[in-house]
Amino acid sequence: MRQGNRKGRSRFVLLGILAPAVIWLVLFLILPYFNLFSFSFWKNDVFTVRHEFNLLNYAKFFTESQTGAAPYLVLLDTLKLACWVTVSTLLLSFPLAYFIRFKVTRYKQALYMLVIIPLWVSYIMRAYSWKIILGTNGILNSFLLWLGIVDTPVSFFLYSDVSVIIGMTHIYTPFVLMPVYTALEQIPQNLIEASNDLGGNRLRTFLHVVFPLALPGIITGGTYAFVLSMGDFLAPSLLGGPTSSTKIANIVQQQFGTSNNWPYGAAIGIVILVLVLGLLEVTGRLERHFSKLESTSPRTLR
Amino acid sequence: MTKKIWSAIAVVTITSISLLAGCSGKEEKKDAANEFQGSTLSMLVWEGYADPSFTALFEKQYGVKIKVSYVTSDDDLLAKIKAGGGEAYDIVTPNGTMAGFLMGSGMTEPIDTSLIPNFKDISSRLILPDMKKDGKIYGVPYMWGPNYLIYDGDVFAEAPKSWSVLWDSTYKGKVGMWDDISNIYIVGEMMGLDKKDPSALYNMTEEQLGMARKKLMELNSSVRKYWVSAGEVNDLFANKEIVISMGWPLTIRAVNEKGRNLKWTIPEEGTTGWVDRFMIVKGSKNQKLASLYINFIIGAEGQALTAKVTNYSVVNPKSAEFMTPELQKMTYVHEMDSLFVKLNFWQ
Repeated sequence: MRQGNRKGRSRFVLLGILAPAVIWLVLFLILPYFNLFSFSFWKNDVFTVRHEFNLLNYAKFFTESQTGAAPYLVLLDTLKLACWVTVSTLLLSFPLAYFIRFKVTRYKQALYMLVIIPLWVSYIMRAYSWKIILGTNGILNSFLLWLGIVDTPVSFFLYSDVSVIIGMTHIYTPFVLMPVYTALEQIPQNLIEASNDLGGNRLRTFLHVVFPLALPGIITGGTYAFVLSMGDFLAPSLLGGPTSSTKIANIVQQQFGTSNNWPYGAAIGIVILVLVLGLLEVTGRLERHFSKLESTSPRTLR
Repeated sequence: MTKKIWSAIAVVTITSISLLAGCSGKEEKKDAANEFQGSTLSMLVWEGYADPSFTALFEKQYGVKIKVSYVTSDDDLLAKIKAGGGEAYDIVTPNGTMAGFLMGSGMTEPIDTSLIPNFKDISSRLILPDMKKDGKIYGVPYMWGPNYLIYDGDVFAEAPKSWSVLWDSTYKGKVGMWDDISNIYIVGEMMGLDKKDPSALYNMTEEQLGMARKKLMELNSSVRKYWVSAGEVNDLFANKEIVISMGWPLTIRAVNEKGRNLKWTIPEEGTTGWVDRFMIVKGSKNQKLASLYINFIIGAEGQALTAKVTNYSVVNPKSAEFMTPELQKMTYVHEMDSLFVKLNFWQ
């Protein structure tokens, strides 16, 4: 009887503690999503929005208009960019995380922090710094000119697809490094030793022990990079050129700014949301599947 | 277990209290001696129009703070006013593109010119029809100027003669363009649309717009970057990313100060111009303070200070006495007519 009361009371208290968080989520996440959803079905009028249900906004996104190509192509282009960024951040983060985890003994924390600290610097500043490095008069070009490798500054370093990818890779690598490193860190050292004892060389140990166990972290990191770069409008706008500065997020931003077509922007937003939710579901399942490879919790091995 | 719960409750409570405390308490007590003491005047203006060299004087005189947001295009300006309204902004400085619309759709307040004694010093040719409605003044002219073709004096031996130089493949990849509707006007002028009637530029037919669009798409391969703000085009010129672009006197001053050699010209097809004016946003709680600021900045000294920062032309000829001979020449203050008639002002 006393046990039951205690359980009931702690559940009540738990509810009380969770309530602010739940209310916050509902007010600032769930309700805005519903608002966005309703907006996507309304009509845009000259500087007002008419609450008339229609599917024209979605239709507009998927059809070619007389003034240009179908807007959904920009989404495909953005997905392409996101793939590039995901690949390059993973290619950078995984070796780095591996190095810090397995090859560094004394300065592990410091090196890890060195990668994370740039996150504390404003996004715009980090993107801007690439203008200084990649510009016509920038550090990279000056260096190449000084070495004599080129005669005139290379122009495609900046205001091109290349600069957008470089900038985004730099900005999102910390986000990718964190889950990858965490996954690698949780691999118990004695598993690796066991693999060596059983006669595995470094490559086999890596392929059959380290990599499979790190895979969930890699999937998480890759998902972060992909989703974040899908929604990025600042890097394309700052570092992109005439043909590389408009990604899907820029189009949405314009609808809520200068183009002043909130229903259309909301519709694109919902399309992106559905896409991302689907993606998260897929990667979530993949991650759970690969997590099953860990048959024992690291804790019990210690 | 109970201890954990209590400490968790304490954390949540402290967090909520500090959040709420942070949100409130922006009201400052007003001093009886100066009714504006402690107020904040919010301005939504083009770059260069809120330089501390003059806003600080006003702030000090009335004990107020001036909060500034910059706009980078007329669309940007409209979007921001729509989003913020009179609660976010008191003063806004649109040009002719948006001003008529803002006035007509009731988004601005009528201005009481009795609070603006310096109003009478404004050159009459700058009091345009879209500043008045039903006998009331809605816009007070502030500065005006041209949309120059700015080029790098180190690259061009002599001034380009036509806007078509922007499409010249010699300068491919080194051209800058503003990300704005006014690019259509440039093409319109190249097509000669405003030779007989200036307003034809602002009332282009579907066919003309289609031609303009096609021409502008060709520019994509030449443009290095479509810049959004004056600050950006300043950087582009200063870093030698571009050698030619449409731009304003503000850019020339800012970049040449860094040791570069920018020059400007008005091509033979002509160019457009703009008149920026002060408007007070509907619902502003600081209308009287806003009027005082407007009076301050269209006074002779305020105008000269603004001209010094932007190199734009003034609306108050009396400001000449506060300008250096160079600045007087740059702003055409003694020969307003000669510049004025060369420009096709935005409508």
